[in-house]
Amino acid sequence: MSAKERETANVGSGLWKGIGMWAWILFRISGLVLAVYLFVHIWVISQGRVSGAETLDDFFAFFDKPFLVFLDSVLVAAVLYHALNGVRILLMDVGIGIHRHKAVFWVCMLVAALAVWGFAYKAIPLIF
Amino acid sequence: MRTETLDRSRGGMWPWLGQRVTAVVIIVTIMVHLVLTHFVAIGELSFDNIGERLASTAVLVNDLLLLVAVVYHALNGIRMVALDWGLTGSGLRRGFDAVLWIAGIVAVAYGTWALWVWVS
Repeated sequence: MSAKERETANVGSGLWKGIGMWAWILFRISGLVLAVYLFVHIWVISQGRVSGAETLDDFFAFFDKPFLVFLDSVLVAAVLYHALNGVRILLMDVGIGIHRHKAVFWVCMLVAALAVWGFAYKAIPLIF
Repeated sequence: MRTETLDRSRGGMWPWLGQRVTAVVIIVTIMVHLVLTHFVAIGELSFDNIGERLASTAVLVNDLLLLVAVVYHALNGIRMVALDWGLTGSGLRRGFDAVLWIAGIVAVAYGTWALWVWVS
């Protein structure tokens, strides 16, 4: 089989469908969201130096709303999804779980879900 | 390793390796960062609260490592998306790479400068 045939065979019947496809799409979306958040985060925290302690504390007071605490938990969930799916990719890179990538995916998602629950447990009193 | 993955037009070997090395650094440092800020100190974040945490050299080093690794990882990720979406031609790619390197160095320098309000 030529390299070209092998590649299209992969796309048609292997990786680009089912859970692997959704894992990839969500990985990319979460990555882009986190990249945007990163630069907003650097800018917000830098206000402590740019404009002083009062301005930064005003930001924190503004963020102290149930909906924004909820969004903070969504952010934590995005980080943990991206991290644990990333662990699965790193494992596949070193040859672990290639033939059982669905099982490895669900184990990673279980770990992510437990961690998200841990963070949400602390956030829920601030949301409701 | 599939050669087409490492071909320059598909990203290159060093960005591929860099993305994985920074991934491992981020997994460790972001868990420290998240547990301290979004778990232990949730609802108590303030200028002074951040200062108390960063008074610890270990936390400061953790956050600086995280800053460098995550800025690289984010911009390299954006580069992968751009390549997938059809950023073709070695000239265009090199120009985009230069923009990303400058943006990354500026972001790390700015972030470090900003954190120093709690250090000095």
